[in-house]
Formats: sequence, C-alpha cells, structure tokens
Amino acid sequence: MATVEVPQLSGYHRPAVLDWITTVDHKKLGILYLYFTLFFFAVGGVLALLVRTQLAVADNSFVGNDLYNQIFTMHASAMLFLFIIPVWAGFGNYLVPLQIGAADMAFPRINALSFWMLPPAGILMFAGFIVDGGAADGGWTAYSPLAQQTGVGMDMWIIAVIVLGMSSTIGAANFLVTMFRMRAPGMTMFRMPIFCWTMLVTALLQLLATPVLAAALVMLFIDRNYGGQFFDPNGGGNVVLWQNVFWFYSHPAVYIMILPGMGIISEILPVFSRKPLFGYKAFVFATIGIGGLGFSVWAHHMFTTGSVLLPFFGFMTFMIGVPTGVKIFNWLGTLWGGSITFPTPMLFAIGFVSMFLIGGINGTFSAAVPVDFALHDTYFVVAHIHYVLFGGSVFAVFGGIYYWFPKIWGRKLNERLGKLHFALMFVGFNVAFFPMHMLGLDGMPRRIAVYAEGAGWEALNMLSTGGAFLIAVSMIPFIIAVVWAFMRPMDQPDDPWEANTLEWATSSPPPEYNFDSLPPVRSERPLFDARQGSGEGH
Amino acid sequence: MLSMPLPRHLRLLAVTLASGLLALVAIGTASAIQPRGITDEAHKMNDLFWIVLIVALVVFVLVAAALVYALVRYRRKDDELPEQFHGGGKIEVAMVGVPVLIVIALFTISMLTLIEIDDKAPDDALTIEVTGFQFSWQFAYKMSDLGTNSDPNADPDDAISIIGTPQNDPILYLPVDEPVEFLLKSNDVIHSFYVKDFLYKLDLIPGRVNSFTVTPRETGDFSAQCAELCGTNHALMRFVVRVVERDEFDAWVAQEAARQLGEDTLVSSSGKQGD
Repeated sequence: MATVEVPQLSGYHRPAVLDWITTVDHKKLGILYLYFTLFFFAVGGVLALLVRTQLAVADNSFVGNDLYNQIFTMHASAMLFLFIIPVWAGFGNYLVPLQIGAADMAFPRINALSFWMLPPAGILMFAGFIVDGGAADGGWTAYSPLAQQTGVGMDMWIIAVIVLGMSSTIGAANFLVTMFRMRAPGMTMFRMPIFCWTMLVTALLQLLATPVLAAALVMLFIDRNYGGQFFDPNGGGNVVLWQNVFWFYSHPAVYIMILPGMGIISEILPVFSRKPLFGYKAFVFATIGIGGLGFSVWAHHMFTTGSVLLPFFGFMTFMIGVPTGVKIFNWLGTLWGGSITFPTPMLFAIGFVSMFLIGGINGTFSAAVPVDFALHDTYFVVAHIHYVLFGGSVFAVFGGIYYWFPKIWGRKLNERLGKLHFALMFVGFNVAFFPMHMLGLDGMPRRIAVYAEGAGWEALNMLSTGGAFLIAVSMIPFIIAVVWAFMRPMDQPDDPWEANTLEWATSSPPPEYNFDSLPPVRSERPLFDARQGSGEGH
Repeated sequence: MLSMPLPRHLRLLAVTLASGLLALVAIGTASAIQPRGITDEAHKMNDLFWIVLIVALVVFVLVAAALVYALVRYRRKDDELPEQFHGGGKIEVAMVGVPVLIVIALFTISMLTLIEIDDKAPDDALTIEVTGFQFSWQFAYKMSDLGTNSDPNADPDDAISIIGTPQNDPILYLPVDEPVEFLLKSNDVIHSFYVKDFLYKLDLIPGRVNSFTVTPRETGDFSAQCAELCGTNHALMRFVVRVVERDEFDAWVAQEAARQLGEDTLVSSSGKQGD
C-alpha cells in the first residue's frame, strides 16, 4: 500500500548542546549558573582540603611555601568570585522572573552574555597553575606591592576578575530593570518577595561597587606591566591607596555575598513556620541599611595600617550590627508562634540563623578597634568570615537547593539523605571553624604555610582539619540524593511545600515563559491568599 | 508529612543544645587561651576584650536560647493555621533600639580604650627602628637614643643593628618597665609587626613610617612574627621579644656596641650571636 509521507509540523529543534549554549531562557541560564558555581565550589573545596592538610601538623612539607600561597589565594578566589557571587546570580536568574510573575529577565541576551563571561574567566584564572611562576599567590586581596612581584599568573587573575566584575555589573543592571519594570499586576514594591528585595539591594551594590574594583585592577595591571606606579611610593604612588579602593569594593562585596542568602532563608522560614515573615518592611529597610552602611566601613580591614580614621570606621562598623541584629529578630519573630516543621530546607535555614548569629557576634570583636589590633590577620578573622560566608551563605545555598529543587527539576531530593547531609555539614563546619577562634586568640596569623612545633597550635589545627574533611564527607549524601532524584520521574506538583510566592503557581518545572495565568497579587504571599481563598491586603 | 515523631524533635533539641553548650565551652576555652598581655597597653586592651566577650556571650546565649525555645515550643502539633502575625510598631522599635544601645555602648568603651593606649613616649625614651624585609627583621638601636643608657655625645649615626634570617630568628631586646617607641619601616612589601603578648600589631608600609609605644612589664622571651602576607617565606618571618632588666639590657648593648662599633663597622649579625 502506498503511503504518503506527511512532514511533521513542528518547531525547529536544536540539538540539546546547542540549545544550552544559545539559550536566552532565564531558567536555563539560572541552571547553567548553578552547575558552573557548584563546580567551582568543589574546586575551591579541594583547595581548602589541601590547605587544611598542609596545616594539620607543625612544620609540614606537604606543599611548599610557594605553592601554599597559590593554593589559598585560589581557594578564596574560586569561592568568592566563581562560587558565592555568581551562585546568587544563578538563584536570581531562575527565581526573580518567576517570583515577580514575569516571563523572563528584561534583557535575555545580555543575561546570556553575563553567564558566558564566567567560563572563560574561570579557565583563565585557573590556567595560572600551568604558567611559569604559577597561579596568583598574593591572596585574594592582592595587596600591592606584593602583587607587583609575582608572575604572569597574577595578570591572568587580574583580567579574570575584571571580566567577572563586568559580568556581575551588567547582570546587576538586568536584575534592577527586571524588578523595577516587569512585576506582575498588583505586585507593588512592598509586595515583592523578600528574596527579590535582597537581590535588588545586591544588584545596587554590584552596580555601584564593582566598577571601582575594575578601576583598581586596571591600575594594578598598568603598575605591573607598564610602569604605572599608582601604588609604588618610589614613583610618587601610595601603597595604602590599593587597600582603600580594593576594600571600597570588597567590603560591600561581603554583603553581595550574604544578602541573597538572607533572602533565601527568609523565604524558607515563613513557609515551614506557616506564618508571614515577621516585620517584612523592617527587613527590607534593614537590607537597604546594610547596603548603605556597607559603603562606609571598608577601612575596618585596614585598622592596623596606621593610616585610617579609626573612630569613624569603628563607629560605622558597629552601626552595621544594627540592621544585622534586626534581621535576627525578623527570623526569631517568624518562628515565634508558628507551626514549625523541619524538612531539609528548614534545617539549613535554621543552621544559617544559628551560624550567622555567631558570625555576627564574633565580628564585633574586630569592630572594637583596640581588640582588632590583636585579632586582625589572625585565624580569628578566618573564623569570622567562614561563619558568615560558610555558616551563612553556603548553608543558604544548600537550603535554597533543597527548597527549589522540586520546582527547578520537578523532583524532590531524598529527605533522609538531606538530613544526613545537613547533620554532617553542621558538625563538620563547627569542628573545622570554631577552633580557629582559639588559634587566632593564641596568635596564629592567617596565610602562613607552616607553624613551628611548640607554638601550641598543633591540636586545634588537627581538629580543624578533621572538620574540613567531615564537610567533604557531607557532600556524599548530597551527591547521592541528586543522582537518585535524577533517576526518578518528575512527579512534583506545582506547590509541594505549601509555599507563598508566585514561582509555586506554575508547573514544576515551569514551562517556557513561565505562566499560563497568574493568581491575583494582593499581598506579599499571593499563594497563601489563594489557598485561604482571600486576599488579606498588606 | 505534617507531623513527625517526637524523638526526631528531641534529637534536634539535643543537637541544638549540645552545639550551644559546645559554643559556651569553646568560648570559655578561648578565654583561657587569650593572652593577658605583658605591656600596660595590652592590659587595657585585654580588659576591653573581656567586656566585648561578656557582652557577646550574653547576646549569644539569649538569642540562641530564644531560637531553641521557639523551635521546640512551636513545632507543628496539628494542622491548624497559626495566628498570621506580621509584626508591628513597638516591637519593631525595640528590634532597632536594643542593638543601637548595645553598639553605642561598645563603641564608646572601645574609643576610651583607644585613647588610653595611644601612648606617646617621652623624647628621651628608648627608640627602636624596625625594618621588615623579605623575609626577616632588622632592629636598630641608636646609641644616642637608648633611654637611660643613651650616650649624649654619640655620633647620631652610631647604631647597633640586629638582622635576622628566615632560618635564624632575630632577638628584640627590650628593657622592662620603660616606655619603648617603635618606628616601623619597610622597603619592599607590606609586613606587619605582631607580638602576640603585646595584643598588638602595626603594619610596616613602604613609603611611610608607623610608630607606637609600649611599656613592657614582664621579663622573658615572647615569640612574634609577621602578620601580613609578604611572599614565599612569610611564615618564617619570626622573631623573639626578649624583655630583660635594665642592667642586663645595658650589658647587652655594651657587648653589641663593642662588637659592632668597636670594629667601626655595622656588621650584620643575627640575634643568636648577640646572646
């Protein structure tokens, strides 16, 4: 029997790889960001294990002094520039358009450009390990004149960080326009999900601060390669100028690295307490306050330079504790009187609150200027930044992954494995980083490759190293949970958690362009209102 | 999914309490580790450290207890929706007011301590010029500026100088119970002069001279090292502060002067040889 071939009427289908490379869909770009950043989290983690192995015993010769300097420099560079900062761009990319009820970001192509600047920068930065003189080894702070002395790996590092900065600057502009112009009908600024608010303030900080870093890095590059002498006192330059411009970016950058994490847990805590966020507006103003004050505290990294107006920066540094304290109250007040359950995302959120509490409190020691004279550049400060950026940001990253995994991939991560992951990471984190407070008080400077036997630091360092490896072990149940989830069919409903915000009003995963229809937005919790059959107005 | 068996909550409670307890024990340990300091200035900074520590501890215990209490007390027991409380006026004022009061108090105390420790040495006090270099230290004592042992007729260029190496830590001799002024310099990269038992550090910055004054009150040897990353052998940039009685200091100066200036040359020597 003769048959007639009927051509299939279907759209043009690109091969999967080409599709991922050319996509301008905010969700696919968000997923790419997440894959990219988690890869560099692993890379930075391996470097951290090398650091901890070297420091496990006194007078160790596991890695040489030169290589050690490269390893800790690249650990921090990977974790800050290639993991924490872009991971928020990943969450933001995926979630901001969904949470405000938009079809995509305002500038989808610029969005793709933002992402695709990252891989070359990451490769360039790490290619330093194979060039003469090795990778950048002046610390992620790249203090001049030390940063003038090192090899071409340093130039590669400078260019990579400039490219990463451009990526986050244009990304920030994109987020701001998206949130200012593309909110769903009814969604006033004060009905915007709290995660969006933290992304908004983060984007403002990036837009204002990152160009300053770029300028500083260009000056450093000129100094190194063309005799610029911006930071060379022999040529009329100023050594401390580098620190001023570097920290003018890098202190706000600390808030760039933590604010979206605060946003994530402020989404999670209300859902699993079945209450609205306590003091939504106070939280928003505290976030803006942290952003604003964040520009006036940079020199607290420089108290021991002898060229800082100590009372001013001491005062501003204490003041930034106020909006931070407000947030702790927000979170406590949200839990108070709630109906609390403890699935994995909630455990990570609670982990965040408790660890960030310590990270906030141990920061006040350094705000007290005379105490900072003792603690600056010791392991006490290493403990502080890790309580903020690991106990805070990393716990929020994993809380966010467990929370939005059903939305992004249509599957749920196994709860038992998730809880095991949390327990191991929580214990490992504290074992790794709490002893560093004691090491700092006992005078162990940071960034030393070896310490002498008899310095009295052996036991605590060994303990800390054990904790670091326990954190590494905690990744095993996580990886198993992810692999296991991907082997199962997509079975997640639109809203598996009984959540509040618009991303849960569409299918899991959401279709291209996100929504067929939107529920009315009459408060900051449109889905709660829909479930309760009322708009409560707020 | 909504209700979970009780033991899990108890476990959570146990874990949280244990970690809180752990933190307390650890902070206690930390305070045992905290050096008391050997200078007048360090003693004042140590007092401030204790004030900050106690305030920090109180805040931590109160907030952590509230957190643990809320998690246990308000765990889900039934499917009833809790009161939808958004927060409000007075409590939000307290949310801002309490932290403001705490930080203003801490700031004020810090500044008072800062003013107290900002000592100026009398003109005739011992002055030591410290030069950091990759990767050790040079300590220069001018014969005309040795405190009570100064030689007013000495050539202003006459100085004894101790130079260390990464393998041979230099020794910084100080007389006890006298104010000593340090002038800090560097010609290569930034270093930081850090003596744990001074509870103090100050950077050595190319193109700039930093100075500070302390009065040591205890004799003995105290280990110290560079605290600002300065290159490959940063970790080996160590030195020893040796605080001695004045007559012992004078004897050491005389011996070094005879050795270094007697031969009319500023021979480089390490501290170990100066013993």
